[in-house]
Amino acid sequence: MKDFAIFWGCTIPARFPFLEKSTRMVLEGFDLPYRDLDGFTCCPEKSLVNNVDHGLWVLTAARNIALLDKAQVDLVSPCTGCASNLATVNSELHMNHKEKEKINNILKEVGLEFKGENKLRHLVPFFHDEVGIPKIKNKIVKPLYGMRVAIHYGCHMIRPSHALKNDDPLDPKKFDNLIRAMGAESVQYMTKLMCCGQGLDRVDQHENALHFARLKLKELKAKNVDAMVLCCPSCYLQFDNNQFLMEKEGEKFGIPILYFTELMGLAMGYKPEELGIDSHRIDANGFLEKWERLNRELTKTEEITRAMEAGFGIA
Amino acid sequence: MESLDLKLLEVCSRCGACYHICPSCLNLPDYDPRAVIKDILAGKYEKWLNHKSIWQCLECHHCLEICFQRYGFENAMTAMRTVASKKGITSPQVKRGWDMFIKTGRLGEPMASARKKLNLPESAKSGAEDFKKMVKLYQEEKTAGSKE
Repeated sequence: MKDFAIFWGCTIPARFPFLEKSTRMVLEGFDLPYRDLDGFTCCPEKSLVNNVDHGLWVLTAARNIALLDKAQVDLVSPCTGCASNLATVNSELHMNHKEKEKINNILKEVGLEFKGENKLRHLVPFFHDEVGIPKIKNKIVKPLYGMRVAIHYGCHMIRPSHALKNDDPLDPKKFDNLIRAMGAESVQYMTKLMCCGQGLDRVDQHENALHFARLKLKELKAKNVDAMVLCCPSCYLQFDNNQFLMEKEGEKFGIPILYFTELMGLAMGYKPEELGIDSHRIDANGFLEKWERLNRELTKTEEITRAMEAGFGIA
Repeated sequence: MESLDLKLLEVCSRCGACYHICPSCLNLPDYDPRAVIKDILAGKYEKWLNHKSIWQCLECHHCLEICFQRYGFENAMTAMRTVASKKGITSPQVKRGWDMFIKTGRLGEPMASARKKLNLPESAKSGAEDFKKMVKLYQEEKTAGSKE
């Protein structure tokens, strides 16, 4: 596998360093050739920078991509926004040579050149396509059998599809496959592909943002899921933090929000505290207790099976 | 507004297929992108610049994926936001975010104390210096371009 740089983005290191922790633990657990690259800035966020100045949005992303060209490494990001923004600009510059030339004239002054020769991927499709399900299954020591998990893809893991080419933009499967490989059930629900709505919090429309959070959480509560799993810090903020704010006002949902790397880390046998799951605002105790109980029962079943096989002389 | 393709928008104003998939159209009562688009086409878009609607597009790209023109009304909302930003009509949070971005090249700095507690390695160096140099060059070029 080619070496890759991890693009952490702004939100994970600034607000959720524990998500960085679980991501590193999982990458190291799989012994993947990742590295931290100096010099990255904000990807930059489309809904902020592109709205104000398209040219600067393209230029900043092109500079980040040019750093990869210089180091000759691929990129993997645990943030959907970063992955999508970088891929969108990458695709735009591959189609618009005039713009690329203009960009490179400026990048020359800081010793860089945009070529866009390396793969830009989000962590989830990266795991699905490059690590692969068989290898993942081999790493699972404490499967999630019996756990009912609702996947929230996060818009920018899969859209815009012309740039990301990660999965079907309207009927994605890869995240589901990964969750199933860990042994969990991926619960299907009506609002599965709906946007989290966190963007509204960034334009001072907090009530509307809560409205969107509520839509999904209500449905998931009715579906009696054990947790929601996602892989985007912005969606995480929306469902963990905003759920916490609503619970403080008396609206109870009780849906733990787990990051993809946390769920994977648990299945790989890491402790919840090591992974930083105790830093969440919505505690995951209900999820963890059920999972421990099911695993105990599973061990018991296995013991009985072994004893019976020995008794019948099958083993 | 010059970034918009008015021919495609004209079809948008009569289509509306994405209303059935757009999360904001489905869930926010006053959100009606076609009304905005019709006013853009009629050259009367000013009244929307101060309206909360133009900030309610979530940029989820659902409209883009479902659109038979591969366009989507997200483009119209982005154009409106750009015009509004140029006129200084943005929410306080957008302004704060933008200022921080220009000043530091990032939207938040790594939490050093929490990193230590979690036993995380020191974070990689930020490219802020090169970023600021690049922004300066970009802005100079932009001003020169607008004078020509």
